[in-house]
Amino acid sequence: MAGIIDSYIPVAIFLAVGLLMPPMTMFLVKQLSPRSRAANKYTTYESGSVPTGTARIQFNVEYYLYAIAFVLFDIEVLFLYPWATVYKGHGITTVAVLEMLIFVLILLFGYLYLWKKEALTWVK
Amino acid sequence: MVESSIIAIPESLVPFFPFLRGILGLALIGAIFVGAMGAVWIERKLAGDIQRRYGPIRVGKFGLLQLVADAIKLFTKEDIIPRNADKLLFKNAPIFMMSSVFLMLVAIPVGAVFIDGVEYPLAVTEMDISVLYIEAMSAISIFGIFMMAYGSNNKYSLLGAFRNFARMVGYEVPLGISMIAVVVMTGSLNIVEISQAQGLHWNIFLQPLGAIVFFIALMADMGRLPFDQNESEEELVAGWVTEYSGMRFGLGFFAEYIHMILGSFLVALLFLGGWNVPTFISDHAVLGLIAPTGFLLLKTALVLCTIVMLRWAVPRYRIDQVVDLSWKRLLPLSLINLVWAVGLGLYLGA
Repeated sequence: MAGIIDSYIPVAIFLAVGLLMPPMTMFLVKQLSPRSRAANKYTTYESGSVPTGTARIQFNVEYYLYAIAFVLFDIEVLFLYPWATVYKGHGITTVAVLEMLIFVLILLFGYLYLWKKEALTWVK
Repeated sequence: MVESSIIAIPESLVPFFPFLRGILGLALIGAIFVGAMGAVWIERKLAGDIQRRYGPIRVGKFGLLQLVADAIKLFTKEDIIPRNADKLLFKNAPIFMMSSVFLMLVAIPVGAVFIDGVEYPLAVTEMDISVLYIEAMSAISIFGIFMMAYGSNNKYSLLGAFRNFARMVGYEVPLGISMIAVVVMTGSLNIVEISQAQGLHWNIFLQPLGAIVFFIALMADMGRLPFDQNESEEELVAGWVTEYSGMRFGLGFFAEYIHMILGSFLVALLFLGGWNVPTFISDHAVLGLIAPTGFLLLKTALVLCTIVMLRWAVPRYRIDQVVDLSWKRLLPLSLINLVWAVGLGLYLGA
């Protein structure tokens, strides 16, 4: 089995290629493509009418609530990853499974609370 | 990858193996691009068949050269950056998306060869945490989508990106939990080991609920119909890619397609038994070289065709329905499946 660093060297190579390939493609496109100067084509598309205002608008608070719920549950998922690899065959099976069940039950309580408070309902 | 045990290689060259693997693995990028072009063609052909029309037939035999024509078009279109766009975000978003799919590709095994009954997985790199790594890299692509939309400074794009964000945030959780249910069965985060451990007892039979949740969550994660609220052409023009044209659009589009192919690989590896074939085939001198990889690719192609055909069979959901489906249906189902998988894992392991 190779060392930990060894398995990430190909990752670095792929990252370098991934970062270099699109700019090279765009360079090629620049050589091949025609260019015309028409000022109107640089305007933002809004179904043909003249764009009004900016698109950097305030957005619905809904998204924020979902984001918080997401962070909550994603942390649960992250805790479960290491747990899933060690719970079996290390002589801690009973304790590990019980702990996980308690952990999930606590989260389920929070989940039901969110549901009851209608934080998971799309209001519109 | 051919390992050192087969051919005699001087000891002094061993430290260079990871580099060699990485450089040889770059061939995979070419292969996946060809695969993505093939997927585009298959999608258009299947779409035609399902809707009782021809699909591409004009350019070349069976319209196969249509792809070449499209590529020429993409390469010779002018690169337009809108005046109001945030140049930094607008230019770098496609790079971001491409890099994220390449980084996903690096950890996914695409098959295996059996030489004298010994198995050599065809993966660019094998890491202990590849499942976690793949999920992380897959989740990164949402930043690319948001950069595209926010950088465009276009209202349609931004609305599409918000919807995309609300959807992906909901589906990451069931996706992660159903992946953990697979990890629980094997006790390893290494996708190669998970695939090998399944043997001929595919995970889809052991935990059918998990497979369904995973498949739906993956479809949503990749933004395929019926989960493409970020693009919904009828309302948002083209959603998050409205301002993109030419090759810049092409890069983002290809990244999405490669993401779809890699997602199909994940389904095949995690739930459909990977490349495992009965031993009498893998012990065969010639079949052992071809059959496992071919089997995996066949399964991947079938998953891909299912995803493509679902696009034309199921109408798009509204955003509130999508969000409800993930938080109120898939999340509890994935937890039930996790408990089931833990019980089954203990029962089978004992």
